[in-house]
Amino acid sequence: MKKKNPAFCHTKAFWMFVLPSLLLFGAFFLVPLGLSIWFSFTNYDGWKTMDFIGIKNYTSILTNADFYKTVTRTIIYTVCNLPFKIAIPLLLAALVTSSKLKGTTLVRTMIYIPVLFSALVAGITINWMFGQEYGLINFLLQKMGIEPLQWSLNPVLATVVISVASNWISAGYYMLMYVGGINNISKELYEAASVDGATKVQAFFRLTLPLLMPTTFIVLLLSTVNLLKEYALVQGISLGGPGSSTTYIVQYIFDQGFNQYRYGYASAAGIVISLLFIVIAMIQFKATKGGGEV
Amino acid sequence: MRKMLKKTMAGVMMMSLASAALAGCGGSSQSGSGATTAAAGGSAGPISGQTLQVMISEEPGEGDALGNALKKWSEESGNEIKQIIISHDDMLSKFPSMAKNNDLPDLVATTRLHQLYPEEFVDMSSVLDLSKFNESALKIVGKSYSSDAITGIPDQYTTTCMFYNQDAFQTAGIEVPTVENPWTWDELYENAKVLQEKGGVKYGFAADVSRARYDILMYANGGSLVQQDGDTFKVAVNSAENVATLERFVQANNEVMPKAIWAGGTTDNPVEYFKNGDAAILLSGSWNYNTFTTEISKFAFGVMPTPKGSAGQGAIIGGEALAIPANGKNVELAKQFIQWLFEDEHYTEFLQIRKEPSVMNDISYVPDTDKAKEDFAIIQNETNYVTDTFMVDESSSWRTYKDNEYRDAIKRAVAGEITPQEALDGFAKALSESSGWAVAN
Repeated sequence: MKKKNPAFCHTKAFWMFVLPSLLLFGAFFLVPLGLSIWFSFTNYDGWKTMDFIGIKNYTSILTNADFYKTVTRTIIYTVCNLPFKIAIPLLLAALVTSSKLKGTTLVRTMIYIPVLFSALVAGITINWMFGQEYGLINFLLQKMGIEPLQWSLNPVLATVVISVASNWISAGYYMLMYVGGINNISKELYEAASVDGATKVQAFFRLTLPLLMPTTFIVLLLSTVNLLKEYALVQGISLGGPGSSTTYIVQYIFDQGFNQYRYGYASAAGIVISLLFIVIAMIQFKATKGGGEV
Repeated sequence: MRKMLKKTMAGVMMMSLASAALAGCGGSSQSGSGATTAAAGGSAGPISGQTLQVMISEEPGEGDALGNALKKWSEESGNEIKQIIISHDDMLSKFPSMAKNNDLPDLVATTRLHQLYPEEFVDMSSVLDLSKFNESALKIVGKSYSSDAITGIPDQYTTTCMFYNQDAFQTAGIEVPTVENPWTWDELYENAKVLQEKGGVKYGFAADVSRARYDILMYANGGSLVQQDGDTFKVAVNSAENVATLERFVQANNEVMPKAIWAGGTTDNPVEYFKNGDAAILLSGSWNYNTFTTEISKFAFGVMPTPKGSAGQGAIIGGEALAIPANGKNVELAKQFIQWLFEDEHYTEFLQIRKEPSVMNDISYVPDTDKAKEDFAIIQNETNYVTDTFMVDESSSWRTYKDNEYRDAIKRAVAGEITPQEALDGFAKALSESSGWAVAN
């Protein structure tokens, strides 16, 4: 009787384990991806029209000034927000892991609660708070004798509001990742540093920060992807306005697809943007050596 | 190898995430079958014990004429009503999904679906005697964009109109314009400044964020979106008069209007500004009249005639139609409701609740107070200001090619992101590319 190859048995077990995930991944990611690629070569309008038009959508995107403006705006928004996405959770994590802090669990919970909010709900709430005419913030400013600010008219102020909201809603999530990272650092290292005369600040910069590089890499990667894909929050706060000053790339794609019924064009834009995102992620991998080496 | 796998997986995930949202909402290109087959079916006897699914655009409130009619019909006929509430804008994306999934409602109260997809709806000439209906209402609200078929029967016939805060006018010492002696648009902007300074209001003038409201300024100044060119059309949206109109509108936004609304940085509704007493004059439409009578108690309000532009006055008529999806589950039941609603007695009651111009020739709304009679006379008179240029624009069905982009271009000009010339040139180019019509200028 022919003996079964152990390697084959292992492979079969492996596939049995991954099959459920693979099916879900295929149904909800790979199939839509395949459809998107197909739609991108058509003039699909979401219902009745779907003719093959070759690379027309791609040439149209690559010669569209609004597309480039939106991509540039998205990248600027991402780059400007990234330092805060890393620094704020890191500092919060350092705070909540400090032995000097009282009520650690309460503080951690308070910081984490915004993560549980739907981005759209948070956006609408922020929109109400920063409303130009009937908003809470302008009401308070006026009560204090200060001129109300033009949150809805000034592109910089509108972007600041979105950025603050984005950091507020995500800080708790990244903070937890850093807390896990900090807790994994051996206490002996700090004791050794202390014996060598290192101050707390020196220990933070020379020990904590370098040893948290793998965590920082993950936070950097996730933050980049999430900032590039910022949608629900913006939709709730500013609807991409004033004008198109807070319209980022996912809103642009959504608008082309679902408001202007250019599903083909929007799919092509999605593919182009996905490729751009991959390039950005690869650069991050390369620059940080996957977070594995410092 | 592991590094490579890591990179590949990250790449695939990124690509999938960005694409999934779009494709997840896509579907096949197959459409439903034609409407005529269902419409041609003979009329059945009175149906009872069924459920009529009706898709409406907003939660029925106080004074909801359609809701009242549905309730009454339900009691009389012994059928149930199930309402599906989806805003008019969302209907445009939801209806195709419903059609693809064979999950269509039996009746839709819509502003555009029946005109965009006429083959999906029952031809109303097989349901009602259309000679009883106002021809303009049928043509503008009920008719398909691509043929002469009446695929929706208007249940709401509206016109643009101007509301004013009577108390603010009195405080500022401003006389209300009359039908015989209307203001010019320049006079409106000047008076809006006075109202801001002396009338106790924050803004002199506000307008709905709708290209249909903005367009009455364009028509009043002799502009149009397209021009007839034999059997086809030319794009005229970037004409010199249209650019001048937009420039003046941008200036008005900077001086007397709540700019954030038209600049697109807020979801605030100008109607609320008027209701709260923050805006003295509101450019909106007759559909607000009923709501204002019940919701405005802080001040007296009225209706004033639309101001004149360089070419006269402009108004846009429109409304909502009841349409029967041909592939709905209860087509006959929906037909029976429509026939019931447009019986004289029922439509008279419907109209008295709705307080709007009638779509039937022999029935009209009778206001119950002298003030309402005065206001309604002005609203009715507005329909005389519909210009020939508007009718040409409507006949071109330009909105089947581009629609929201026009309003977005105006918003960007108001926000100061681009000049009025750039905004209209950009839209003219997009409309021309999409429709195949040449640009006239």
